[in-house]
Amino acid sequence: MINVISKVRVGIIGAGRIGKIHTENILKEIPEAEIVSIADVDLNKTKEWAGNLGVKKIFADPKEVINDPKIDVIIICSPTNTHSDLIIESAKSGKHIFCEKPIDFNLNRIKAALKVVEESGVKLQIGFNRRFDHNFKKIHQLVESGQLGNVHIINITSRDPDLPSMEYLKNSGGIFMDMTIHDFDMARYLANSEVDEIYSVGSVLIDSRVKEIGDYDTAISILKFKNGATCIIDNSRKAVYGYDQRVEVFGSKGSAMTYNDTPTNVIVSNENAVCMDKPLYFFLERYKASFVQEMKDFINCVIRDEKPIVSGIDGFKAVIIASSASKSAKERKSIKIEEEIL
Amino acid sequence: MKKIRIGIIGAGRMGRIHTQNLLKMQEVEVKAIADPRVEDTKKWASSFGITDIRSDWNSILDDPEIDAVVVTAPTRFHFEVIKAAATKGKHIFTEKPLSHDLESAKKLLHFLEGKNVKIQVGFNRRFDHNYRKVKDLIASGKIGEIHIIKTTTRDPDLPDIEFVKNSGGIFFDFFIHDFDYIRFITNSEVEEVYAGGSVFWDPKMQEVGDYDTAFVNLKMKSGTLGIINASRKAVYGYDQRVEVFGSKGNILTSNDRETNVEVRTKDGVITDKPLQDFQHRYIDSFLEELHDFVKCIIEDKMPSAKPKDGYEAILIAEAAKISTQFNKPVLINNLR
Repeated sequence: MINVISKVRVGIIGAGRIGKIHTENILKEIPEAEIVSIADVDLNKTKEWAGNLGVKKIFADPKEVINDPKIDVIIICSPTNTHSDLIIESAKSGKHIFCEKPIDFNLNRIKAALKVVEESGVKLQIGFNRRFDHNFKKIHQLVESGQLGNVHIINITSRDPDLPSMEYLKNSGGIFMDMTIHDFDMARYLANSEVDEIYSVGSVLIDSRVKEIGDYDTAISILKFKNGATCIIDNSRKAVYGYDQRVEVFGSKGSAMTYNDTPTNVIVSNENAVCMDKPLYFFLERYKASFVQEMKDFINCVIRDEKPIVSGIDGFKAVIIASSASKSAKERKSIKIEEEIL
Repeated sequence: MKKIRIGIIGAGRMGRIHTQNLLKMQEVEVKAIADPRVEDTKKWASSFGITDIRSDWNSILDDPEIDAVVVTAPTRFHFEVIKAAATKGKHIFTEKPLSHDLESAKKLLHFLEGKNVKIQVGFNRRFDHNYRKVKDLIASGKIGEIHIIKTTTRDPDLPDIEFVKNSGGIFFDFFIHDFDYIRFITNSEVEEVYAGGSVFWDPKMQEVGDYDTAFVNLKMKSGTLGIINASRKAVYGYDQRVEVFGSKGNILTSNDRETNVEVRTKDGVITDKPLQDFQHRYIDSFLEELHDFVKCIIEDKMPSAKPKDGYEAILIAEAAKISTQFNKPVLINNLR
C-alpha cells in the first residue's frame, strides 16, 4: 500500500514516441505522480530530451529502473518483443505495471508474464487508451445503462491517415496485431460479451510492398460474440482525409453513433459546397486526452488499491483475437476463439 | 406520339405503387391490371379510372394492344410470367428478385438471351437521389479507387412470419438490393462471399430457417472489400446508409428525414427520425426507375438493371445462404 501523502514514483522504460507522451503527461497533468528515472537504449538522445523536463536519472539498462527500491510503478513503452520479460522482472520486483499494447506477439509468453503478475499481486494495466476516450466511454455507458437494449450490431471504422514505413510494418506483427488490436478491445468493451468466432479478410490496395511482407493495408473483420451480437470492423492504413475513428452500436432499443472529432466545428459555405474540418490528423491529436486519462486512472488505481479498467486478461484476449484474425485472413476460414485458461 | 400501353401483373403493394407512378407519366397508359383478387383490385383501380381488371395474367400477355408489362406478382411466379411475356414480345419491368431461386434465374437468363424486348429489374436504389450521387461521384473519380464499401440496411419492423416464409430468406429478400448496388458502383464482380446471422427478435424466425440480424462480406475481383449489416427491426425507423472509402477520400450518406428541424432542450438536441419505411424513403426512386424503363422503350436504350444483374444478385444471395450453412467463405464461380 502506498502512502497517500507521498507521490507515486514512476520509472519509464522506453522513451520512444509513446514513452515520451506518457512521461510528459505525468509531468504536466498528474500531480499525484513523479518520474524518478527513465531507461532507453538511446542514452544521449533520451538525456537531452529528459533533461529539459527535469528528469535527471537516465539509464540504458532497464534493470536500473526496475530494481530501484524507490520506484512504485513501471511504465513499459519499449518494443513489443521486450514486454513479457520486463513485466516479469517488474512484477518480481514488486512494481505495479502499465504496459503498452500488444503485451506480446506470443501467447505462451503472455501467459507466463500474467502468471508472475498474479503471483506477485501487483497491478497491471494495458494501454488500450481508447476505453478512456470521451466519445467511446459515453457509448459504453449507454450500453451499460441499458439505454440501447441488447446489443445486436457493432460497427467500428478505424482508418489511419497514412501508411507507416515498411521498416515499421515489418516489425508490427501485421495489421491485425498492430492496428485492429485496439478495435478488438473496443469491440469487447462495447459488446458486454466475449468473442466466440472471428472472420477476417484483407486486401493490398495502397502499396504493393505490403503484399511482399505478407501483410494487408485494407481489412475487414467480423466478430461473432457469444451473446449473438456481430461486430464489423473496417480498417485502412491510409485515409487521405485523416484519422477516421467511428463507432456505432445498434441494439434492440436504438442505436448510438460517434463522429470524428475535428480541430474546430466551423462550417464554411460558399458557391461550391459546404465544408467542415477534416478529422484530427492522427492518434496523438485524436486521443490526446485519453492518454492522459488512462494514466490518471492507472495512478489512481495504485493509490486507492483498485483494479485497473483494462486488465492483463484484456490485453491477452486482444492478442488471441488478433492472432486468430491473421490466421483467418491467411487460411480463408472462420476461426473459433479458443478458451485459453490461464 | 403513341402512348406506351402497359399491363400490370399483380396488384399487391408494389403493383399499386408502380401503377400510381405510371399514371403520372404522359408517355404511358395503364391498359389493364391482372390480379386474382378482382373485386378488391377493381375497387382500388376505379378511383384512378382504370376499369380493365382481369383475373388471368395470360390474357394480358395475349392482348395485342399491350406493349409492356410490370411484373409485381409474387416472386414464385416471376419465372413463368417473364418467360411468357418475353415470348409474346412484351417489354418487361419486373420486381426483384428476378426469380425465386438460382436454378430458375439461370434458366431464365439463358431463355431471355437474344429476346428483342427491354427487360428491367426493379433495383430502385440505382435511381435514388443519394445512392445515384454516390455512384456519379465514384464514376467521376472523385474518391479514386474504391477500397471499402459499407452499407447499413435496417427495416423499421419485423414482417409477418408468413411473408418471411415465402421471401426466400433475408439474403434473397433484403440484401439483394445491397448486392446489386455494390456491383453497380464498383463495376466489379463479387469473387467471394462470407455471411452469417442471428435471431434476436422472434424465435419463429429460427423455425423457418431465417435470421432477423445478419451480415454479408463481399470480396470483389478488384480487391475491394464490401460489408453489409442488416436488421429486420430498428426501433427508430428505416435505416439506409452507404459509405464508400477510396484512395482519394470517403463518401457517406445519411438517412433522409421528414424535416430538418432540430429541437434543443435541457435534455439534449433532437432531430427527426429517418423516414419510416421504404414506401416513404424510396418513393421518388420508384418513379424514376419506371420512368427510365419507359424511356428505354421509347428511345430504344438498354435498361440500367438488366436480367444479368438480377441473376448476379441472386447468385450472391445463394452464396450468402450457403456460407451461413457451412460457416465458410464461398467462391462465386463455384456456383455458376
